[in-house]
Amino acid sequence: MDPIAWFAEPFSIGFQQRALVGGILAGLMSSIVGTWVVLRGMSFFGDAFVHGIVPGIAAAVVFQINPLIGAAAAALIMIAAIELVNRQTSLTEDTAIGLLFVGMLALGVVIISRTPTYSGSLTTILFGDALGVTMSDLVVQAILASVVIATAVVLYRPLLALSFNRQKAELLGMQPKRTHAALLVLVAVAVIGSFQAIGTLLVFGLLIGPPATAALLARTVPRMMITAAVISVISVWLGLMISYHAGTAGSATMAIVPIVFFFIVLTLTRLRRIKPTHEAAHHE
Amino acid sequence: MKRLIMSELPAHSPTVVAGSNVAVARGVTLGYGDHVAIRASDFVIPTGKITAVIGPNGSGKSTILNAIAGLLVPKSGTITTFGKEPQDVRSRVSYVLQYTPVTQGTPITVGEVVAMGRYPITGLFGRMTRSDRDRVSEAMRELAITDLAGRHLGELSGGQRQRVYVAQGIAQEHDLLLLDEPLTGLDLVSAQAIDRIIHAEPERGCSVVLTTHDLEEAKAADHVLLVAGHVIAQGAPEQVLTMDNLREAYGLGALHDEDVATPNFPTEHHHDH
Repeated sequence: MDPIAWFAEPFSIGFQQRALVGGILAGLMSSIVGTWVVLRGMSFFGDAFVHGIVPGIAAAVVFQINPLIGAAAAALIMIAAIELVNRQTSLTEDTAIGLLFVGMLALGVVIISRTPTYSGSLTTILFGDALGVTMSDLVVQAILASVVIATAVVLYRPLLALSFNRQKAELLGMQPKRTHAALLVLVAVAVIGSFQAIGTLLVFGLLIGPPATAALLARTVPRMMITAAVISVISVWLGLMISYHAGTAGSATMAIVPIVFFFIVLTLTRLRRIKPTHEAAHHE
Repeated sequence: MKRLIMSELPAHSPTVVAGSNVAVARGVTLGYGDHVAIRASDFVIPTGKITAVIGPNGSGKSTILNAIAGLLVPKSGTITTFGKEPQDVRSRVSYVLQYTPVTQGTPITVGEVVAMGRYPITGLFGRMTRSDRDRVSEAMRELAITDLAGRHLGELSGGQRQRVYVAQGIAQEHDLLLLDEPLTGLDLVSAQAIDRIIHAEPERGCSVVLTTHDLEEAKAADHVLLVAGHVIAQGAPEQVLTMDNLREAYGLGALHDEDVATPNFPTEHHHDH
């Protein structure tokens, strides 16, 4: 096969192009929000969250309502329940998140097990259906992506102050409580806007993978966001291409790429750093 | 909450003059949850002076700063800063928190950390004006960290990092500067730079409150609060840092006589820069 055809063929048909655009939109909003998730050390919350919306989507499938509405309802319940456990007990936040993580995922499986197409629906929810993205899905995704990216950029100062130190953010008038709540909503919207293209389980790959890789490369938060966005777009494109030629599942392949990137970049940066260790001594 | 009037000031504070205190606490009990850190205490922070809060570990020193800054609401009693509820005057108070660990590799540079001091002025979206940027550069220059501007906090030594936090503190608009253990465990260069800032603040008309473990630092202050679960004594260093008071704060036998201030009391030695 000639090289041009090799690159062009995976995206020659409409549904393939929609998969690419849907993946890129999901990648962009996930990586921008994910930058703050990684900086705040909230990866576990992100992980739990992407599983926590499963029952909402499952219920939507069963009752034939819009899965976005089901996912949003499940997200609200999850955030409210985590807050409830935090306020009413002295348990640490990760315990609250863990409780909801398992509970919501199990509930999702219970709901979906009542449907005749049990395994098919569950696979679609967890792993997405990149090639089944419709034009109207893309429009909704584009709107959500614009809102998420604009908000994450507008809240730059409060989010930066919060990532630096919660008490300091409070002293600087940056309202850490509201900022934290806003970030939770942003994660929810990014996940809800992405799961149809890449599945709830794999959104997490784009939420954490590109920002984590970018953190190894970038020296400031804006550069980390841009780097993460570029990595996510490349991941989506490369993932779909590999999946076409190798005949593998589209969304899973997209999700693997940024994780592989991370370890390649980690290895390269560590190899570079082995030599100039004496430089650190100069800092003192 | 009841507002204090000057005639209600604690009677046993000889340095207190009506109208000259930035913060006044009366019968104040402070704590977190069920834990009481400071029980029913009176104290004042005089205007334009350096106040040192000294006491053993866990004696409630930071708690007092938190209350003055409005991060903590008293369980009982009253505390006012600039004559108002502390949380209403945050724009006049700059608080340099005690060293908090920074995750290695967090992509926040020294320049950005110092610039955060301007956030109360710029707000969420306002642009940094020329005067904001000048104030940031000036703060970095005063603490000799200008050449570290592009570094990450995780790449700095403890002393350099403390200088960054103090630079952030003075880049912020303030009439009262609070510093939680600003000089503890620092290298000489960093300690001197920060000590210079502390003693320059009153010349600009600012008041300073710092916490310390170090008797020498407390002696160099204008006003001292000795705390151990409550305010044991307050006033001029030579009146507060007596053998009896220190024994009460640190426990009997914990101190040797030569550690303690006696006749030739060196109050001025820290000012000789």
